Amino acid sequence: MDKNATLDAKGLMCPMPIVGLAKKAKEMKSGQVLELLSDDVGAKEDVPAWCSRTGHQLIGTEEEGKILKFYIRIK
Amino acid sequence: MTDRLSMVVSEGTFDKAMMPLILGTTAASMGSEVNVFYTFFGTKLLTKGVKPKLPGMMRFFTGMIVGRMKKMGIPDYEGMMKQAMELGVNFYACSTTMGLMGVKEADLRPGVKVLGAAAFLKMAQESNVSLFIG
Repeated sequence: MDKNATLDAKGLMCPMPIVGLAKKAKEMKSGQVLELLSDDVGAKEDVPAWCSRTGHQLIGTEEEGKILKFYIRIK
Repeated sequence: MTDRLSMVVSEGTFDKAMMPLILGTTAASMGSEVNVFYTFFGTKLLTKGVKPKLPGMMRFFTGMIVGRMKKMGIPDYEGMMKQAMELGVNFYACSTTMGLMGVKEADLRPGVKVLGAAAFLKMAQESNVSLFIG
């Protein structure tokens, strides 16, 4: 999937992927797509929850083995 | 209206110290305003240079737990506190228990405000989520 930036949060457990996501989202421009890589199983539910509360749009998810990939369009 | 999370922390052990910081940094990252009010044994957690330990005999294993958390990318107490402050989490010390616990205003880390119960309750009443960590 097309992306403007990647946040590699592999090896980080809750809440660090979400904290990192919030910081990264602030640096990005509206409409850009951020890819998040995580191996925290909690992220499966956490990332959609974060998106629904912050208004950023989750446009896709992929799973590659233990790695979860999230694609988020910045609001 | 922005979301608002208010928490009360009444214990000063490592586990009770970390929980509000984990929830607080997450809520702040989700766009929430976060207020954490420390009372009784919790008040000590707001003093400069504090290193909280697990409760009772478990205290000897604090370093092991901190090490495990570090491997998960989670900072120690001091690091989490800094992250929370950077994210704009508000920290409040209960004025009455400061006297009770022998904590002076000069002992508090910069950025911590001193409040009474009424002021905190007003915040809690105007919050959509209130949690008690104790």
